[in-house]
Amino acid sequence: MTDPQPKAGETILRLNDIRKVYGDHVALGGVSLDVKRGEVVAIIGPSGSGKSTLLRCVNQLEVPDSGTLEVLGSNIDFAGRVSSADLLALRRKVGMVFQSFNLFPHMNVLRNVSFPQERVLGRSREEADKVSRDLLERVGLANKMENFPQKCSGGQQQRVAIARALALEPQIMLFDEPTSALDPELGLEVLAVMRRLADQGMTMVVVTHEIHFAAEVADRLIVMADGAIIEEGVPSELLAAPKTARAKQFLSAITDR
Amino acid sequence: MELLTDWVEWLPRLLSGLWVSVQVTVLALVIGIPIGFVLAFMSSARNAIVRWLTIIVVEVGRGMPALVMLQMVYFGLPEAGVVLDSFAATVIALGLTTSAYTSEIIRAGLRAVPEGELEAADALGLKRGDIVRFILIPQGFRIALPTLMGFAILILQVSSLAFTLGLPELLSQAYSIGASTFEYLEVLTLAGILYLVITVPGGWLVENFEKRLSKHLA
Repeated sequence: MTDPQPKAGETILRLNDIRKVYGDHVALGGVSLDVKRGEVVAIIGPSGSGKSTLLRCVNQLEVPDSGTLEVLGSNIDFAGRVSSADLLALRRKVGMVFQSFNLFPHMNVLRNVSFPQERVLGRSREEADKVSRDLLERVGLANKMENFPQKCSGGQQQRVAIARALALEPQIMLFDEPTSALDPELGLEVLAVMRRLADQGMTMVVVTHEIHFAAEVADRLIVMADGAIIEEGVPSELLAAPKTARAKQFLSAITDR
Repeated sequence: MELLTDWVEWLPRLLSGLWVSVQVTVLALVIGIPIGFVLAFMSSARNAIVRWLTIIVVEVGRGMPALVMLQMVYFGLPEAGVVLDSFAATVIALGLTTSAYTSEIIRAGLRAVPEGELEAADALGLKRGDIVRFILIPQGFRIALPTLMGFAILILQVSSLAFTLGLPELLSQAYSIGASTFEYLEVLTLAGILYLVITVPGGWLVENFEKRLSKHLA
């Protein structure tokens, strides 16, 4: 939860012609995407459409077969080898939240948020704890700091995971189906935190099935299918009148239930 | 009554034997487990030569009976110019067996750490060394610990094989008392009880530990 930033600034994330193939399955068939500072981009699409793979390519949890990636001015070309220094530099700018939270179960909530700050940013334990307490308070977990993750609900765990990522002061936040493992009520707590983050001007790329969240919070909605972006636009317009039959079919499947 | 007086008479010798058994067991574990730890990492090394050599060493170590290992170290190594007394030979042989077995136990523990946590650690920008040290090892070791403790109990039992090297451990002591009194059944029963005095509570400890662990990590 960094300082508010002006909406629609310069392009800070640019994916160009990203390809990823597993065996003979084309997960991403040359996808390009620009994201501006302060923009909230929601990506929807059926499972297997490549939306999570695309997100994971941004911070190199998946290494694309080809294409280029530009994050805040630094370029990576996947035709060559990516050095580990470049990789760490990239990951420091980009935070990620997973569907399955992925907290460290042997550390309590406070340590989960403080430990990465100490190792990645070199903060002292005191400094890190101060940042962690502040962030945990803001996501509504002031009374859970000493608990271990297993003693927290899924919604609480996901909010810890968001605080853990934010503590490293990323410039871009990636969310990979952050509410898909949560029951609806707990999902709301998480969405509320994400909404506030968007209001504060965080640049966000969100893979989600939460169509209402996408409609209300996202500046841009992207529909993916079969490893390609098939449609994108202002959420309200796209949702009201999808142009392609594939997008129409997918949207009716998630809105008509 | 006569049995009891015999037992009381034999007990000091058997206890000194038990003490030797415990010593070689503990030393074998102290030497073997750290080596097992290193082997566990080497067996998943990126370098294929390192990986395969490690796998061969581990498979040979696990495949060879502890008795053969003991005989090789005690009777075989002198031919290569290395002469060890029975105590050192036992510690080394059991240490080697321990390292081969525990490397597999530790490797299984490390692999049981959920992939998602390692991805999250990667995504946070943690360095590989930090991930191994702060995420992988603490959790993998915790997962492996009950099995390692069970293995430690097993090694105490296996240490009885050192009687073939004339090491004055518990079984040797019982055997030599038997040889002079011809009361083999009586003295071996007492020796068996002394093993049980350690292994049974040890087993309870492992069980208890496993329960506590699963409660915390469920």
